[in-house]
Amino acid sequence: MDKTPYTRFRNAVNLPLVIWTVALLIYGSVMVSSATTGMGSGMLTRQLVGIAVGLVPLVVAWVLDYKVLKHWMGPLLVGLCILLISPRIPGLGYEAGGATSWLQLFGVRLFQPSEPAKLIFIAVMAAVVSEYKGRIDKPQDVLRVISYMGLALVLILMQPDLGTGLVFVAIAAGMLLVGGMKGRWFLIFGLAAVVAVGGILLLDTALDNMAGEDVALKDYQKDRLLVFIDNTRDPQGAGYNLAQSKIAVGSGGVSGKGLAAGTQSNLNFLPERHTDFIFAVLGEELGFTGAVLLLGLYLALLISALAISTSSRDLYGALICAGIISMWSFQILENIGMTIGMMPITGIPLPFMSFGSSAMVTNLGAVGMLLSVWSRRYGT
Amino acid sequence: MSTYRQELKSRFAALGIIVVIMLASLFVRLWTMQVLQGDAYAAKAENNRVREISIDAPRGEIYDRNGVALVTNRAALAVSVDPSEDTVRLLLIRSQNSDTADDPTKSEIEERFSPLADLLGMTASEVWEKVSDTRVEALRSRVVAVDVPIDVVSQLAERQTEFPAVEVDEIAVREYPQGNLAAHVLGYTGEISDKEFTESDSSAGYELGDIVGKTGIEAQYENVLQGDKGWRRIEVNASGKAQSVVSEQAAVPGRDIKLTLDIEVQRVAEKALADAIAEAHSQDFDDAKAGAAVVLDLTTGEVIAMASAPTYDPSIFLGSISTDQWEDLTDEASEYPLTNRAIMSAYPPASTFKAITGLAGLEAGVTYENKTYTCSGKWTEMGEQWPKWCWNHSGHGTISFRSGIEQSCDVVFYEIGYEFYKRKEEELQAMARSFGLGSKLGIDLPGEVKGRVPDAEWKADFNEDYPEYQMWLPGDTVNMAIGQGDLLTSPLQIASVYGAIGNGGAVMMPHLMLEVLPGVGEEPTVYEPAVAYETGVSESSLAVMHRALVDVTTEGTALGVFRGFEVTVAGKTGTAQVANKDDYAWFAAYAPAEDPKYAVAVIVEQGGHGGSVAGPAARQILSQLFGLEIEQVHTVDESR
Repeated sequence: MDKTPYTRFRNAVNLPLVIWTVALLIYGSVMVSSATTGMGSGMLTRQLVGIAVGLVPLVVAWVLDYKVLKHWMGPLLVGLCILLISPRIPGLGYEAGGATSWLQLFGVRLFQPSEPAKLIFIAVMAAVVSEYKGRIDKPQDVLRVISYMGLALVLILMQPDLGTGLVFVAIAAGMLLVGGMKGRWFLIFGLAAVVAVGGILLLDTALDNMAGEDVALKDYQKDRLLVFIDNTRDPQGAGYNLAQSKIAVGSGGVSGKGLAAGTQSNLNFLPERHTDFIFAVLGEELGFTGAVLLLGLYLALLISALAISTSSRDLYGALICAGIISMWSFQILENIGMTIGMMPITGIPLPFMSFGSSAMVTNLGAVGMLLSVWSRRYGT
Repeated sequence: MSTYRQELKSRFAALGIIVVIMLASLFVRLWTMQVLQGDAYAAKAENNRVREISIDAPRGEIYDRNGVALVTNRAALAVSVDPSEDTVRLLLIRSQNSDTADDPTKSEIEERFSPLADLLGMTASEVWEKVSDTRVEALRSRVVAVDVPIDVVSQLAERQTEFPAVEVDEIAVREYPQGNLAAHVLGYTGEISDKEFTESDSSAGYELGDIVGKTGIEAQYENVLQGDKGWRRIEVNASGKAQSVVSEQAAVPGRDIKLTLDIEVQRVAEKALADAIAEAHSQDFDDAKAGAAVVLDLTTGEVIAMASAPTYDPSIFLGSISTDQWEDLTDEASEYPLTNRAIMSAYPPASTFKAITGLAGLEAGVTYENKTYTCSGKWTEMGEQWPKWCWNHSGHGTISFRSGIEQSCDVVFYEIGYEFYKRKEEELQAMARSFGLGSKLGIDLPGEVKGRVPDAEWKADFNEDYPEYQMWLPGDTVNMAIGQGDLLTSPLQIASVYGAIGNGGAVMMPHLMLEVLPGVGEEPTVYEPAVAYETGVSESSLAVMHRALVDVTTEGTALGVFRGFEVTVAGKTGTAQVANKDDYAWFAAYAPAEDPKYAVAVIVEQGGHGGSVAGPAARQILSQLFGLEIEQVHTVDESR
């Protein structure tokens, strides 16, 4: 069968994925531009530079046959650990918002290592899970698979970055679902997680009291969780962000107040408005219409990714896609959910929308990996 | 292999379903928030960003009847602290939350406010007290000091960075171009109290921290002087910093008021009172410290002057008065300078009351102009065991009713009083009440006292717990007839009584408001004179009393006072006996006798005799009223 240039192109490029990605990037740039009104023009430029830089990992991942990753388990695992530990290395870490999740060299803030670490984690988990060929039921198998996640989780919580930790859990859960872990194990780990969170909250309070200082879980993290349970708690403190972002989104109504016309965001009521709370700006300025448009774009993007996943010629590729789908899905749910009071407040960026190069580069790298799976669906 | 494929497919489906459910839940939540509850959130957003700040209306000014400024406004430099500045706000939040353990410590306050306090000559905790005043609107700058010296202000300006959150503003404060003059009438202003605030009409729009009239005209005409506040709605950001003005309404200034006072007469009245006290001292009445003088236009009731001694400086209430100053003003030793004795104090009227006893006697037919009495100095009609003395112990001999007034012979009035006692009609009390005694005249000043006209019913009530003192005795009426006993009158009441005798029997409503000066495009509100009490005393009786009162100043007890005075005065001296005190000196009069225009009453507490202490003060005041040379006369009076 002769390959016309068109079919060759169709083979290499998943057009829907590219279209939805580009649409989201444009939408995100517009929102960042609106949210940073009054902060100077440099912010949009930095966002565009982030997109440009992100094209590099996109192309590299695309060109690279994803299957080789399977054989780089050792180096990838080491790289993952180094990335997650690096902010804790004296002189390298940069503390912001109570967590040391940034990497700096010679005083220059570089990037958040936990962002690219997500992709490496996906590659590592895919390799481990795919070994079981779609059936993970034996306790020792379950434990082995889970222990990889546990390792990553422990390292992230050391930063401590609770939100990113949850992203890792979500990634693992999605991959284990596609990778064939039996339903009862999900039930067991789900229950265990609920008990653990409750227990940790109680235990941590007790520990804080005993130690007389803030040990283990940071108080602000506890506050954020507790505010989610009772959001009238301390409206000027931890509840303030939530209250303000809910007002922003709600007051947007059906059609919004117009770009750069959001009073909540432009009068500084909204914290972190161009990064974590970018959706609140969107909700306020473009209203329900703009929010539904965004949800529609995400749905289209995720369906495209799901289609690529099902088209994969091997389980390994499918798992990589499942990891990326899980990562985006959870981040969308968590980020939008927190601005409207459905989820606890954490510092997780909204894919393709939030200002921030680390996340942008990571997400574009993920698009590259999806394209890599897509372009090799018929084998090479 | 096909089951594996099948299984994989179902797992992808599961993942897909999870994704759809997740997005659907976000959709539903957004639908409720933005579409269903959008309006409620929009209202919250509006509240969030818009704050209303009120703009104070300039307070109305006060003028005398000739347009001389008595109370005006001036700009003063005030140092205030911006409560929204971060460090201040943090301290405020901590002091205002319920957890007292979290309150700012003394050292934190010292650290934050000491530099400013040192510069202002205050302590850090004094500054904090003003900054943390929760009664002030949240966004209003807290005024810490008013009338800050210019060198302090320039230091604050030069070293601005050392004093974050400190602002220097011009604020309007009351100014008193006449100094202490008429302080009691004008009153002073101060911050609205919690009590005044809760009792105020909510439509008046008072806010805590507002300056309101506390006493005098400032309080009486608060609603006229206050004006209507304006407001400014400002858009603020999350830290409360103003971003832009959304809308504003200018304040409507308070109305200016023109009073009936003539500040030149007032000046003389206050000087005359001071001179009278000095005169009393020179006559060895060393406890003379206080007194009052009232001048009325007896045709209209206009108050031309109203003086009370000792006085105070209303300007010390600017900003806020210190505790020490307040204690000084309310201490017993200070003789209560804040009290306007002209209307707030009631004294036995003594012989000034003989005019009323006389009129009552004439009206009842108990006496007549030439009826003769015999005064031996001692009067024993009620029995030998209860002798009463005339002030002139050697006696006036045979004396007519008319001369009884002129010489202030007590025996004449004992006789009249005893007659009234025997008639059991309480006609003397009725006459006193017809002149407004025993009740408020209704002057437009807060705090007027009623005084007291005693009668049988009052005595029974008053001595409820002492049955043996409940019965009305002959001595009660006899004492009242000479203005003693339980009778009490304010200086304003006595002036009004003499005004009524002078104008033909009508007690005019005394008032200070002459007119409310109009705002732009308004008509002035002019006060219309009104009669407070129609006495109903016959012209013939008034004519007798008039002749007798003229005799007093031309031949009688006030002869020395008015010797050489070019205007004929009808008046009466009085010397009140007060238990455990030196005598109180009274003088009441109206003039000119031919065509009465003004009524005057003067009292000097513990000043001795009316003719030698109060009379000369009245002469000075009358001299000013009639454009005569003001002389201080020194004379002797032994009468009561």
